[in-house]
Amino acid sequence: MMIPVRCFTCGKVIGEHYEEFEERSQRGEDPAAVLDDLGVDRHCCRRMMVSHTDLVDVVAPYQ
Amino acid sequence: MAQEFDVEFIEREDRKARFLVRGLTPALANGFRRAMIADVPTFSIDTVRFTENSSVMFDEMIALRLGLVPLTTPLDDFEIGDAVTVALDVEGPATAYSGDIETSDALVVPADENVPIIELKEGQRLEFEADAVLDRGKEHAKHQGGVSVGFRHLQAVEVVDDVGEFDDQEPQILRGVIETPDGEVVLTDEFDNDLTNRYPGKELDVTDVPGAYVFHVETDGSLSVDELVLRAAEELGSRADELHDAVTV
Amino acid sequence: MELRVIEKTETELRIEIAGEDHTFMNVLKGELLEAEAVSAATYDVNPEQSGGQTDPVLSITTEDGTDPLDALADAATAVRETTDSFADAFEAAV
Repeated sequence: MMIPVRCFTCGKVIGEHYEEFEERSQRGEDPAAVLDDLGVDRHCCRRMMVSHTDLVDVVAPYQ
Repeated sequence: MAQEFDVEFIEREDRKARFLVRGLTPALANGFRRAMIADVPTFSIDTVRFTENSSVMFDEMIALRLGLVPLTTPLDDFEIGDAVTVALDVEGPATAYSGDIETSDALVVPADENVPIIELKEGQRLEFEADAVLDRGKEHAKHQGGVSVGFRHLQAVEVVDDVGEFDDQEPQILRGVIETPDGEVVLTDEFDNDLTNRYPGKELDVTDVPGAYVFHVETDGSLSVDELVLRAAEELGSRADELHDAVTV
Repeated sequence: MELRVIEKTETELRIEIAGEDHTFMNVLKGELLEAEAVSAATYDVNPEQSGGQTDPVLSITTEDGTDPLDALADAATAVRETTDSFADAFEAAV
């Protein structure tokens, strides 16, 4: 659904970086470089971003 | 027997720091670590009263997300159990961000403004009032101020000998911080965590330095690193005072 | 912090310290063991899920005629001094 607010493993707040990460990697930047730039260093936090799929648009028609 | 401590910063940012402490015992180092995680209180949204929630998420899911949003916590002005009222009202099409949360106290505000709470479509609306409560990480993980707080031994590297002329040198991977033979303190990241990059062709001996610990402290933004560490020390100290008074009555 | 003495002799003390956990008890134990007059100090604590006794029980044995309660009070003072000196050292480095 929405990007989790924090990393499940370490508790770092990662939600705030998701939109920028998504936008920049869509534009063709290397996702790994974007994550480094955003300060998402640990692999536990990185997988939160990399593996996430936004489903709000999918479920929106069903109230 | 007041011990002498020596603290030296290796990395230092507002929310993230690495520092070396000399003169600690393992018990103390762990006491500080545990206190930073579970005993330094922070504000977190606890009870939410929904006026309207026509988003695609249930009330409970939104309340959980709200609880995880870090709120700035001026510890000098509040006590454990104190509550601050917060509110939010966003109508779609828009995304409700943590920055949209309004608080009744200017000292307690969301530490990060750009955390998406929920994306709202046309005709959807989220409106609620909630209480942010000051409590400890021991009570609920959402109150933890410290994120990935830990410590490692400082490792002393000694150059023993040259590697034999025809010997292959295996990579020697280290994490954390090393102390070089000239007493310099170096982060292993600087040589890609492989000692053979820094000392090629040398035979090395790595030992833990007794009583020297490298702390890695990161906060979720509710407190600064300095405040978190000092509060943790104060937390342990105040319990010692309490015990002293209880025993000597 | 509620204290309950379980057993007390001239050289031995067993005391329950309610509401504390490893964070403080281990530091306190470490400080007790540093003291000259304390020959043994340990604590025992059960996890919450175990039911029954979940508050830590501290055991102290002293020598040279020192009252274990005095040893405990001294150790508490020493913990305070230690945390204060750590805080000072940290502030000095900031």
